Amino acid sequence: MTGQAFFVLTALADEPRHGYGIVGEVAELSGGRVRLKIGSLYGVLDRLAAEGLIEPDREEAHDGRLRRYYRLTRDGRGALAEEAELRAATARVVRVKLGLAGAEAAG
Amino acid sequence: MSGELERRYRRVLRLLPGYYRAQWEQDMIGAFLDGWLTGDPESDEYISRVARPGWAEVTSVAGLAARLYLGGAGAPRRYFAWGQAVRRAVLAVLLVHAVLAVDILVFLERGRRLVGWLPPPPASLVIAAPGGVWGMAYYLASVAWIASFVTLAVGHYRTARVLAALAIVPGLAALIQAQLTGIMPAPFASWPFWVLIDLAPVLAMTAFHRNAPPAVPLPWLLALPAGYLLVYGPLLALQATGNSAWLPDFPGLCCILVSLACLAHAPRAWSRRAGGTGPWSLTLVLLAAVAGAYRIVTLSYYLHDPHLITVSLTELLIVLATVVLVAPDAVRAQTATPAPPPYPRAMTA
Repeated sequence: MTGQAFFVLTALADEPRHGYGIVGEVAELSGGRVRLKIGSLYGVLDRLAAEGLIEPDREEAHDGRLRRYYRLTRDGRGALAEEAELRAATARVVRVKLGLAGAEAAG
Repeated sequence: MSGELERRYRRVLRLLPGYYRAQWEQDMIGAFLDGWLTGDPESDEYISRVARPGWAEVTSVAGLAARLYLGGAGAPRRYFAWGQAVRRAVLAVLLVHAVLAVDILVFLERGRRLVGWLPPPPASLVIAAPGGVWGMAYYLASVAWIASFVTLAVGHYRTARVLAALAIVPGLAALIQAQLTGIMPAPFASWPFWVLIDLAPVLAMTAFHRNAPPAVPLPWLLALPAGYLLVYGPLLALQATGNSAWLPDFPGLCCILVSLACLAHAPRAWSRRAGGTGPWSLTLVLLAAVAGAYRIVTLSYYLHDPHLITVSLTELLIVLATVVLVAPDAVRAQTATPAPPPYPRAMTA
């Protein structure tokens, strides 16, 4: 799973969001490191929808324009949990190798 | 209220294929405008009048458009066929680069006797090897082309892209220096070569995106030694036997190779039983277009020699005559090539 897809799925983990809402949430989740462009976002959304990991939730009119909300599917939730576990395990190994895990426990 | 700005974004989104716009355009417009508008009618009217889509946004839409037009798994048939054709054409051009690079390295080895036990080459085949920084850059670029071809064939797209981008830099630097000083610092090629044979495939490597089905590596990898022997065997034989006058120049050689490939592929393209030949036919049409364009822009080199102009025009006619044999199949490919299902990574190119 790419970093962008991981962040998009994470942004949808707690509630359905529309396109620009996802961009904002991803920027916040990443501490401003990941700023998705709309072209990149819809490339990711299209792929995640085709893989069955997200689906449209509802459409709302806002100031005369359409906002389509997306939510995680059951498969999407599973894939995100699996990816998060994998990344956490990798991070644990890195911390041990850097000698940070022991220092933190002691601190 | 958001009319003018919305129109500007819709114009940008026209870069995307129609099927994709039908599904996502409204949604994308909403997301673009959400990034600008505040909800305050006065501010929004001003913003709508003065705001323009930024370069980063336009670039991201252009990148998405390139990935969609050069489709991979899950794409509509037409775009999948174009994607496959461009991917194979890029591999074919990189194969040509790799074969040229092998030849350069073989000559380097034989000229400088790097491997002592190999016999020295005939004096007629020895060329002066370039030295200094430019010579080093020339050889490194050759190695980078071979590495780029191999990594692309085995599916490491990003590495292949970086290597190819690095491989074209020395040629560009040498051309710019030649432009400024009038002296070509090493045996790098001309602007037409750099644009059509170096830069174009590097840009077309956009077709190797996440959804692109990986190529079957073995036939492509075997094509490297086979291509070297099949091309340079006859060329060296002509040279060694004193028949250098029969050697075509590089654009002519490209035309001849594409024509031979069209002739070899034509029976399959016309056979009713052979399925899935369309993307290969489309690949050959693309390669014929590149070879033909290269031949046309280099005609000016021979304006002083009517005989060479006749030879060059004959090469052009041959490539046109042979590409006509596969063109109908290439046209059919755009409707008859079934795209693989979405996003499995075990497909073959």
